[in-house]
Amino acid sequence: MEEKRVVLETRGLSRYFGGLKAVDGIDLRIHEGDLHSIIGPNGAGKTTLFNLLCGVLSPTRGQILLHGQDITGLPPYRLAHLGVGRSFQITNIFPTLSVFENVRLAAQALGRDNFRLFTPVTRLPHYVEKAYAALAETELLELAHVPAQQLSHGDKRRLELAILLAQDLDIWLLDEPTAGLASELVPGFMALVDRMRKAGNKTVVLVEHNMNIVMSLSDRISVMHQGKLLAEGSPQEIARDEAVQAAYLGTMYMDAEQ
Amino acid sequence: MPQQTNTTTRASLWPGLLTMILFVLVPYSYAAFTGTPQPETSGLARVHSAAESIYCVKGISPVTSILLIELAVLLIVVLWAWLKQGEPGGKTAVFHQHGWYLFTLALLIAIPFIIAWQTNSSPCTRGKAFFWQSIYIDVFILAILALSYNLMFGFTGVVSFGHAAFFGTGAYAVGLFMKHLEWPWWLAILASLLLGILIALIKGFVGLRIKGLYFALFTLAFAEVFFLLAGNRIMVNITGAEDGFTFTVPDWLNMTKNRLFFYYLTLTFLTLAFITIYRLMHSPTGSVLSALRDNEERAQMIGYNTFHFKLLAIVLAGIMATMAGILRGLALKGASPNVLGLDFTMNPLLMSIVGGVATFSGPVIGAFMLRLTEQLLRDSIITIGTLSLNIGDHWTLILGIIFILSVMAFPHGIVGTWLSKNLHTRNGWITLFQRPKTNKDTFVQSSHPPSSTKHKETS
Amino acid sequence: MTTTFDSSPALRTGALRQSLLISALFVVGLLVINLLFFPVGTVAVVLLSGLYQGMLFFLVAAGMSIVFGLLDVLNLAQGSFFMLGAYAGFAIYGALPEGTPTTVRFVAALVGATLAGGLLGGVVEIALLRPLYVRPIFQIVLTLGLATAIEEIVREIYGPAGLIPIEPPAALDTTFGVFGAQFETYRLFIIVVGFLLMVSVSLLLQRTRLGIIIRAGVQDSEMVEALGINVRRVFTLVFVLGTAVAALGGMTAAPFLGAYPTMGTQFLLTAIIVIVIGGMSSYEGTAIASILVGLTRATAEQLSLQYFNTPILASVSALVFMVIVLLVRPTGLFGRE
Ligand SMILES: Nc1ncnc2c1ncn2[C@@H]1O[C@H](COP(=O)(O)OP(=O)(O)O)[C@@H](O)[C@H]1O
Ligand SMILES: [Mg+2]
Repeated sequence: MEEKRVVLETRGLSRYFGGLKAVDGIDLRIHEGDLHSIIGPNGAGKTTLFNLLCGVLSPTRGQILLHGQDITGLPPYRLAHLGVGRSFQITNIFPTLSVFENVRLAAQALGRDNFRLFTPVTRLPHYVEKAYAALAETELLELAHVPAQQLSHGDKRRLELAILLAQDLDIWLLDEPTAGLASELVPGFMALVDRMRKAGNKTVVLVEHNMNIVMSLSDRISVMHQGKLLAEGSPQEIARDEAVQAAYLGTMYMDAEQ
Repeated sequence: MPQQTNTTTRASLWPGLLTMILFVLVPYSYAAFTGTPQPETSGLARVHSAAESIYCVKGISPVTSILLIELAVLLIVVLWAWLKQGEPGGKTAVFHQHGWYLFTLALLIAIPFIIAWQTNSSPCTRGKAFFWQSIYIDVFILAILALSYNLMFGFTGVVSFGHAAFFGTGAYAVGLFMKHLEWPWWLAILASLLLGILIALIKGFVGLRIKGLYFALFTLAFAEVFFLLAGNRIMVNITGAEDGFTFTVPDWLNMTKNRLFFYYLTLTFLTLAFITIYRLMHSPTGSVLSALRDNEERAQMIGYNTFHFKLLAIVLAGIMATMAGILRGLALKGASPNVLGLDFTMNPLLMSIVGGVATFSGPVIGAFMLRLTEQLLRDSIITIGTLSLNIGDHWTLILGIIFILSVMAFPHGIVGTWLSKNLHTRNGWITLFQRPKTNKDTFVQSSHPPSSTKHKETS
Repeated sequence: MTTTFDSSPALRTGALRQSLLISALFVVGLLVINLLFFPVGTVAVVLLSGLYQGMLFFLVAAGMSIVFGLLDVLNLAQGSFFMLGAYAGFAIYGALPEGTPTTVRFVAALVGATLAGGLLGGVVEIALLRPLYVRPIFQIVLTLGLATAIEEIVREIYGPAGLIPIEPPAALDTTFGVFGAQFETYRLFIIVVGFLLMVSVSLLLQRTRLGIIIRAGVQDSEMVEALGINVRRVFTLVFVLGTAVAALGGMTAAPFLGAYPTMGTQFLLTAIIVIVIGGMSSYEGTAIASILVGLTRATAEQLSLQYFNTPILASVSALVFMVIVLLVRPTGLFGRE
């Protein structure tokens, strides 16, 4: 197998909350086009790691490199322009705006029309088309003009995907995209994610608790525990790794089954 | 698609044009070309005779006045076309939305004459009609202030308790420049506006580092510093301390002499402010403003530098509020510390809430409601006569009670409730009476109706 | 026990120490300015009067700060309770028959004002604020309207002019000398009352079950609710305590300041400055900030009386102080990030 390019890399990345080492010296390399899962029990520091990667938190120590360039400490809005997008563990949308507006705003964000104060948005069909395309892809077209807060939970999660899709970014950081979703909907939802990322050749960093899905979709898996990286490898390697198995997989399988 | 836009333009222009023709064009041209109209010919003739009194305004001949009116009509048509450019959507929606705006505008243009007609007085010499013009001028100024407040509070979600700083600065600065520096009116107005922008920039660059409520309190303190300084004895030679100061304005800008002109001047600025906000909130920039009101963190995440957008909102709101203050200073030909006081923060806030936060016409309606109610109550002392209860003196108390009641029972305001009724009839009217779901940032829910109409328009 | 609510004790104690240090340096700085500009006697009076002002600010701000910490409601009507306290005290003082000793009247007025303030606070919380928990911003807006309404009602009943200060007990109605300057005993009494309240509220927060619940609620109200504690009831109680303390403060100030309709707004503005500097929801922050603001105002007042012949700088200095603090620390001296 030829070596893929590294798109996102962390070096000794750490974030402490007072005495708590939420993320502690993480060295991570994400390869282009991979679906790279990060697993670990609740409180392992996965969300904190994502917050560091997308600039919401600044690291206590360490570096983040995007395509080899240091992006540590850049504000979140700059990262979007550099091609890093994120979905949230807790649904994070614009509640009073329509579904369509949510997505159209995402498409507009990376364009050059943000300061056209007196041009009606309808005169900029480019973003409208992009938004509709993303909504079609995520099967939200019918709900396009409903205020986002009125969506069902599952539709809200798909709206998050549509927002990412409309932005045409290279790297997706998906923090438990299926959180709160009824378990029977999870496989279909993740199949949609997989289809979308393959169609666009996206690099995906995924946090997910459902082990069957992680094992079947991932190219690589990293295991986090108490802020540290415990193991990394292909799904097979992780499944075989006895330490990981003994410590986590057992309990996590049980979580997923409940 | 462009063809369809044209037809809708014509259709929705009707109410406005019709009013314009009936109330303004016909009487004016009639008065101008046939001499004194016969009062008994029709009901309209009485409007004619009232319109005729435009002659008495020095320097404006009948022909000029007709020209002016026609220019105004033209301007409105142009503004109208600009307003609705590229607006797709059914005829009815457009008709509903803009036709009534235009109708209102036409009505406001005609109002001095309607009042003159109703009260049998002349619109340009001292009398009832003359007096009511000054009330409407006050309403328009307050409406501009409320629109500006709503841009920050309702549309952008930036809570400020210091809007009076802009308003008062406008009123003070224009007067001080004209009085002490003896600048011509245009330079004074321009400089005051620049000062307003400067304050907005300071508030933005300094204050926006501070989050949420801290920012609101920061602006409160900011306005209070101005209030204290303007009213202090050490400034007595400049600002006249507690008593304020007066200054002279050119005759054509003098509200006492040329009131009808001043009426149209303030109306023009109100229209401009309204159109600016309307267009802004339908533009890409405007949608980012509502987005960051909804969820600022998320807006940053998808790539918006929200600071720039908030700064923009503050500067625009600042310009409008300063302009309102300038108009107020010119109208009263003076300023006193109360224009910097809490009242002029409370008033626009209350007007926005009563009318409907985050709606376009809400703040204007709120301004009309409150100011006219105040006036009517004040008048009611005269009619009651023998009763010692002086309702006018209790206005602030009544205002406070309206304030509390509307916040408690009527959070969407007049326009918001109206719009949400429409929305909820589609989704089952019962939801109208349900409490909003608990949400950390529930303030946002109050702005729910306008955004829902927005997608109605675009669908 | 106390640290279990802190998500990051180490960070907090570190920041706390730093804030304390800044505050101490600030006081020292003010002292130096005082000593540079005034004779020793004046310095003593300035310091005492700064403390006296600070205590009054504290009495208004304490309730605001705790209530804000608990449920994110900034009670902008708190100043009105201060004013109402003063008026209630006057009413009770005047209602007692002529022959009653001044001390009895005075104590009755203090107790009555406190009770009245608490009672009204309870009514306001239950009737007006409770229905609005789903709309926090509107709650704040509502209290602003309430402040206007209360001020107007008082103006209707008592007229705009205000009442002449009532007579305190004879023992307090004297002056004493400090370094050759005279200082009113009554102001010292205010300082003592303020200090006692400061300590007792602190004890309440540190030592009682209610205090622990309050502090936990300030840290994380959802967690407390999850523990099965009725946060609403706790909130009502705290709101009542806060308004009662503010009313007590108003009555305490009455023999010195009298009672007038605008005193509410006046004290509200400074109380806002205090809690912003203190970090909004921090009790220690509010206590320290009120003294800092009091001292700043007293110093600026003396300076501006000396050089401009008007106390203008007093109000301006507090505002400027707040703006500077916000610029250096956007969440106040003792605020959480
Ligand atoms: N803002 C914060 N302040 C203090 N502690 C935090 C903060 N955010 C997260 N933590 C702590 O960091 C640890 C890691 O949390 P998180 O990254 O959310 O884990 P995960 O997403 O893997 O479940 C947890 O113990 C959590 O309590
Ligand atoms: Mg997580």
